[in-house]
Amino acid sequence: MIDPLYLEGVIKILFVFVLISAALIISTRSLSSVLNTYTVQSFLLAAVSVLLYLIDGKSELLLLAGLTLASKVLLIPHFINRIEEKIKIRRDLDFTYLEPTTSLLLSIGLILLSYTFLSRVFGDLALSRLFFFGAVIGLSLTLMGMLVMFSRKKVITKALGYLSMENGVLMLGIFVTELPFILEVLIVIDLIILVLLTSILAVGLDSSIEEYRAKIRKLQIWNGGEAL
Amino acid sequence: MLEALVYGAFAALFSGTVLPLLYRSKNARKASFGLSFISSILLLGFAGTILYTGKGAQFPAISFLPGLDFTLGVDRLSAGFVLLIAAVVPGVSIYSLEYTEHAKSEAGKDLQAALTNLFILAMLLVVLAGNMVVFLIFWEIMSLSSLLLVLHDYSSEENKKAGFFYFVMTNLSTAFLFLGFISLFRLTGSAELGQLGPVEPGTLTLPFLCLFTGFGIKAGLVPFHKWLPYAHPAAPSGVSALMSGVMLKVAVYGFLRFLLAVSSPELWWGILVLTAGSLSALFGVIYALKESDIKRLLAYSSIENIGIIFIGIGLYIIFEAEGLPALALMSLTGACFHAFNHALFKSLLFLCAGSVVHATGTRNIEAFGGLVKSMPVTSAFFLIGSVSIAALPPANGFAGELLLYQAFFQASALNDPLLTVLLVIALSGFALAGALAAALFVKLFGITCLALPRSEESRLAKEVPKLMLIGAAVPAAFCILAGLFSKQLLSLAGLDVEYPDLLLLGLLLGLIYAALFLAVRAKEKSEKEKRPARTSETWGCGAPTLTPSMEYSSAGFSEPLVMIFKSIYRTRIVHRPKYFDGQESLLKNGNVEIRLLRFFEEYLYIPPALAIENISKRVSRLQNGKLDSYLLYAFLAVITLILVTGVLI
Repeated sequence: MIDPLYLEGVIKILFVFVLISAALIISTRSLSSVLNTYTVQSFLLAAVSVLLYLIDGKSELLLLAGLTLASKVLLIPHFINRIEEKIKIRRDLDFTYLEPTTSLLLSIGLILLSYTFLSRVFGDLALSRLFFFGAVIGLSLTLMGMLVMFSRKKVITKALGYLSMENGVLMLGIFVTELPFILEVLIVIDLIILVLLTSILAVGLDSSIEEYRAKIRKLQIWNGGEAL
Repeated sequence: MLEALVYGAFAALFSGTVLPLLYRSKNARKASFGLSFISSILLLGFAGTILYTGKGAQFPAISFLPGLDFTLGVDRLSAGFVLLIAAVVPGVSIYSLEYTEHAKSEAGKDLQAALTNLFILAMLLVVLAGNMVVFLIFWEIMSLSSLLLVLHDYSSEENKKAGFFYFVMTNLSTAFLFLGFISLFRLTGSAELGQLGPVEPGTLTLPFLCLFTGFGIKAGLVPFHKWLPYAHPAAPSGVSALMSGVMLKVAVYGFLRFLLAVSSPELWWGILVLTAGSLSALFGVIYALKESDIKRLLAYSSIENIGIIFIGIGLYIIFEAEGLPALALMSLTGACFHAFNHALFKSLLFLCAGSVVHATGTRNIEAFGGLVKSMPVTSAFFLIGSVSIAALPPANGFAGELLLYQAFFQASALNDPLLTVLLVIALSGFALAGALAAALFVKLFGITCLALPRSEESRLAKEVPKLMLIGAAVPAAFCILAGLFSKQLLSLAGLDVEYPDLLLLGLLLGLIYAALFLAVRAKEKSEKEKRPARTSETWGCGAPTLTPSMEYSSAGFSEPLVMIFKSIYRTRIVHRPKYFDGQESLLKNGNVEIRLLRFFEEYLYIPPALAIENISKRVSRLQNGKLDSYLLYAFLAVITLILVTGVLI
């Protein structure tokens, strides 16, 4: 049996890596590195749940780790990788509303905000420091994922931002609310569908951009402005 | 047994709504109006019995939402208003049998028949509603069905504007009602429309103000009255009769329902209601004097009469708050009775106006004249309506206002001298409004029916078909009967107020008229015997022939009064120049008009409307079609939520 304190230490180190991965998703320009970062982040999450299982001994955590590994580390990145190969876009250079530096500064603000918020909310609950910290990381990861969604231009990066946001929700779930396992499975299925849809859209967009835009305009999905 | 009558009426009105939509034919429409006629007979029996016996009726509650029942209830107040509905509907339904057939399109005729029935059904259910939710549901159905009827001829720009105006105002009214009911619900925890029970003083301020505004908008109190003169001319005449005669009273009913539920109304409520009522009565008739569109004139006169009803309600509150229950009862009876009477004579006048407009094809009274020769029956009914509304004895308009005058005259019973002064001021306003209303209807009847026809249309006018005459005859008969038998009616309804017997007065008046007539006839005869008759033309001031342009015109008749109230009819000069260039230096052409300043519209309605439009324009800029922006909004919303719920509070 490994010493729980030692395990907690490891988990905290992993938290730091999760945050770093989130920062990388916000700022990295190369699409393949964004994808790799996401894979690493998901892997870190799987690792966190395994470690937590070692402390708590709840078997759902192990299942969750397995699911995360299968879907978010293997399946989804594989799909997205295939899309990236097809669309031949290697970089996402454009940002809307926020430049990477500002985004990073803002994400520090977001972490502080989550911390203050959760310390108020969980003030009365006797939550151990590790779990509280996990919740803070989870919430900040969610918010940072949202930040990625609106500040980056390419569909792929937006999808990855969404996926990273879901990672944050998962983390919050592991540490605070303990989402029922079935819910987690459903969410993963949703994510896979999202990735599939993204692939269709992105590939469609790339294969003949003009034609596709004309189609979208015809359908009036988004009036005015530039469609994605 | 009594309940069966109501269920029968519901069934009749409901099938009257569905029938013309299912079988789109003339017979279906006829059956539809026939059904509404039958329903009104059933309702007359129902309401009459309840008022006479004083017993209530029991309706089983149907639960349609968890924790909320569909309940109906009836007491003497609602029975009185059911009677009001039942008194107006027969005339309107007979009239509409013929009138509707002259609508432009087949679909329009079917819709008119169906919606009229729905409208009546909704008003009936509002009056019978047992709780706030049922009340609001049918209130909305009532508003929407009448809106569709106002928009029946939606091709004309004017009607579209009228419909929009009405739509906005009626929604505003509903919004205030919602606010009022919700605040009442928070206070009492019950959605029932029953007795409120004792509450802390001051807590009812918000519900009172909201309900007063909400019902005031719907009833057409100044300054929320502007939708009336737009909506009434646009609607078909039968519907105008229903809207003006009944729907405004449904709003009055709602307000009374709230007031009677409150165990101790506050004094300032009464002062507010009395002031609003007096202003409405005065402004209504003053604006009506200047109007030359017959239906719009009648709409303004409705505002005046609603003002009179609210004067009665205000008196009721004041006397109740000052602990004078007998006077309070008299004022309340006066208000309700006047509401009933107004429903009768205003529907009569709208039906007659509809006939006149139908025969001449114009609503401008300057183009009428001489109709007493070409449309004698309609003119006679018109005269009965005018006599009633001008409050001449023994017609019913006099009966209702007499009760209010009696209540006013006893203002000295109040302890507070300031209050007495206020009542005397209100009384003088009320009396002035009464006198002006008499002048107004002398003008309306005189210009419309007497003298020579002022236009070709008027000269060629023909009496309307029989059914339309019978339709107008029903309220006309009711007007006279309700006036003559007012004391008997009131005592049958169990309201023993101090009140003269108008039947006696009517008989006396009749005898005097008969005696005068006979005396004149006898004198004439004896003169004839003395001197032979000579037939020649009346001296025409030396002019060879008399032409219609020499007659008193509508504007000419009201000119002296207009001079007196000059400060109210302010004019505005509007320039509309057009230029050749963008810098506006080369004048192309343009027009200038001097028109009446639409004070309430321009200063009270338009500014908030423009402000809302500006805000909406700014808000609509948020919808820019960019996905990124939408995601940003979601992000900001989440952050704000976190800040508000977690950090700031």
